[in-house]
Amino acid sequence: MRQSQKISLVVVAFLILLSLYGLYPTFVFHSMSYEEKQTLRSENPTRFHSLKNRALRLGLDLKGGMHIVLEVQKPLEGKISDVQDRALEIIRNRVDKIGVAEPLIQKSGTNRIVVDLPGFTDIEQAKKLIGETAQLQFKLLLTPDETQALLAQIDSVLAEQNKKVSPEEPQEGDTTIIEAVEDTSLGSIVDLFESEAPKEESITEEETDFFAEHPFTSLIDETDGVRFYIPKRDFYQAKKYLESSEVQKLIPSDVQIAWATRDSYRGDRAYQSLYFLKKRVELSGEHLIDAQPSFDQFRRPIVRFELDNEGAKRFAALTGANVGKPLAIVLDDRVESAPEIRSRIRKTGQIELGGSGASWDDARLLSVVLKAGALPAKVEIIQNSVIGPSLGQDSINKGKKAVIIGLLAVICFMLFYYRLSGLIADFALLLNFLFIFAFMIVPGINATLTLPGIAGIILTMGISVDSNVLIFERVREELKTGKTIRAAIDAGYSRALLTIIDSHVTTLITALFLFMFGTGPIKGFAVTLSVGVTLSLFTALLITKVIFDMRKKYRTLSI
Amino acid sequence: MIEIIKNTKIDFIGKRKFSFIFSGILILVGLTAFFLILLGKANLGIDFVGGAMILGNFDEYVSVNDLRSALSAEGFGGADIQSVSGETVPRNSFIIRTKGESDIIGDSLLTDIIASRIKKRFPDNEFHIDSVDDIGGAVGKTLQEQARWAVIFALLGILVYIWIRFDFRFGVAATIATFHDVLAVLGIYFLLHKEISLLLMTALLTLAGYSLTDTVVVYDRIRENLKQFRKRGDFAGTVNASINEVLSRTIITTGTTLLAVLSLLIFGGEVLRDFSLALFFGILVGTYSSVFVASPVIVEWEKRSPRRFK
Repeated sequence: MRQSQKISLVVVAFLILLSLYGLYPTFVFHSMSYEEKQTLRSENPTRFHSLKNRALRLGLDLKGGMHIVLEVQKPLEGKISDVQDRALEIIRNRVDKIGVAEPLIQKSGTNRIVVDLPGFTDIEQAKKLIGETAQLQFKLLLTPDETQALLAQIDSVLAEQNKKVSPEEPQEGDTTIIEAVEDTSLGSIVDLFESEAPKEESITEEETDFFAEHPFTSLIDETDGVRFYIPKRDFYQAKKYLESSEVQKLIPSDVQIAWATRDSYRGDRAYQSLYFLKKRVELSGEHLIDAQPSFDQFRRPIVRFELDNEGAKRFAALTGANVGKPLAIVLDDRVESAPEIRSRIRKTGQIELGGSGASWDDARLLSVVLKAGALPAKVEIIQNSVIGPSLGQDSINKGKKAVIIGLLAVICFMLFYYRLSGLIADFALLLNFLFIFAFMIVPGINATLTLPGIAGIILTMGISVDSNVLIFERVREELKTGKTIRAAIDAGYSRALLTIIDSHVTTLITALFLFMFGTGPIKGFAVTLSVGVTLSLFTALLITKVIFDMRKKYRTLSI
Repeated sequence: MIEIIKNTKIDFIGKRKFSFIFSGILILVGLTAFFLILLGKANLGIDFVGGAMILGNFDEYVSVNDLRSALSAEGFGGADIQSVSGETVPRNSFIIRTKGESDIIGDSLLTDIIASRIKKRFPDNEFHIDSVDDIGGAVGKTLQEQARWAVIFALLGILVYIWIRFDFRFGVAATIATFHDVLAVLGIYFLLHKEISLLLMTALLTLAGYSLTDTVVVYDRIRENLKQFRKRGDFAGTVNASINEVLSRTIITTGTTLLAVLSLLIFGGEVLRDFSLALFFGILVGTYSSVFVASPVIVEWEKRSPRRFK
């Protein structure tokens, strides 16, 4: 064996192993039934998410879900892009609230918004997401003492509850250990965030006791007294606790526990945060005439806002009586931020954005949210596609069946017609098949498999043997002219090469433009088709070539 | 060695009068379909003109006719109703499609209206909804526009490639063959009253790319043989010999691709049926055209204004 052949074989073997390794989570994840996935999700969320993130992504048409396209109407005054921004923020906030995993919400053109909600098929709830007018409100927060007291109550009820479920190791101890950041006077800044590394997770026995005794507060990583940061991975647990009937009974009727409108990040850790609000609406967003991003004299981004007369009157009374306290900006029951009231504000005011990291974009976003309640954006549903669970699953089953039968048919045919050479072509075909999937899960590419995508894979299987057919037929012809096996193989490969490349370029050109102009499912088709065709060149010219080169020394050639 | 085709000497070029007539008819039908689409008179799918689709199932048996007359009575006489089945699809499932209805506004989605009417007509037999699709006219326009650009750019891309790769005559002939294939399938779909949908456009563009593959293979061989032109004899004979030489490859590749597409057509389900049918026809027509259109056009041209070959 020549050196180059050895290298090729090693490279191919390496690629096969790498592909199998990469596709292992896909195999595990997608061979689980829906129920098994749900069980794993609740029992071992870390493993569930790790599997899910590494598995091949399925398009909405396969896993089910909603695809909604909205069109915002041109407002009587102002720019349509403002309305689009506002509607996007409102919808994003509400989608986040119902907890759809991996939603996709993005602008399309100048007046449309595309919303993809995988796995979510509740049409009525989805309509509420879009149809209802956004509620922007200003609310005061509980005092730190009130908050502490409520948290302590929540903990004791939950601890009691947990003991009933698992009656082991009774504990003592009663204090909540949430370190309040002492200096809240610095907190005129909205997103005040002391830079302190997240705690290391090493669980000692003492801490285990603490966890048992404080099921809820132990989920809180830290707080500045206003905002309580809960790591994203504990979010569902915390939410479950809060929504349990025992905890709901504890919450006084004038108190509202609300989540933040968006996640915050520290390093690569995502946090969701919790606010403890007084339920009373101090001022609602309809009194806000305008809000604009701007800079203060130190060139820091701020948001300037203006209230109408009625609003100014109320706001002056509110702010005058609560200087030094935080005021929460609440959009659809979720808290955008809670800046501290610095002084009495009448008709116009400004909100400083906290931290050195605040950017113009943050200010713009806050102004968009503030205006959400002021001018209701008129939004129309112009497309609403719901792919129900049975249609999606049916597509997967039928797609799988078509792929397997198509693959088997082509493999059998090649084996029958070209014998040993056919076997080599079949090997290349299977590798091609493996590599298509492996390519799709390469980090950074993360392509989505759609139903037309499956069609693309099937079509590719037919096309991909073409390269080998071209070579085999050429080799046969050369053999007929009386050439030796060595010469026939060499001639076959060299003469067929240009034709092979030539004949696939046009398919790639089409796929390129389908990708550029196609919508979701069609894009999926373009991806699998182009990847499959490209890989078929690779497998034919590299992998089967190596094997054929090794066959040169034999007297007969089964072809 | 198994051979389907053994050293054939079929006179493809000699039969070009018949193939030109046949292809002429195909192209004519295709062009008619094309212009009717432009005029908005063809059977455009709901993704292009807007409309609604519902997939749902009844608890108990309902015939397609019962459902159709119920919908007619509710003012949806034009609805297309299809009974569907599958392993995960519940019994008594139907797909109902209706198109060209007015835009969807706020909470009165067209599918809601249809679903509530069905429920009203079958009060004792509950109708469960699995999937719906509401497409407003505005979305349809956007999709039409995107499809148009995809078609224009893909065809231009292919043309540019042909022009770079081949000389003028081969380029023109390959272009004719490509348009022939796309128009033929479009024409067949038009005659079968099938819907012109986004997926069909995708299939047609794929065909444009794929059918060239066969043509390229034949042309490569013709050019290779033309280098030994003097030895081989006349031009038409060389072309004919080239077609015969690659005939087995053409048939084998067409065969494997057809096997794969057939599997998709038979087992791939309702959603992809029209798409795979278009590919099926397209592969057949594409293979036919590489032999009976692309090459004879060159021969005919050569006959009318001969060139010298070095």
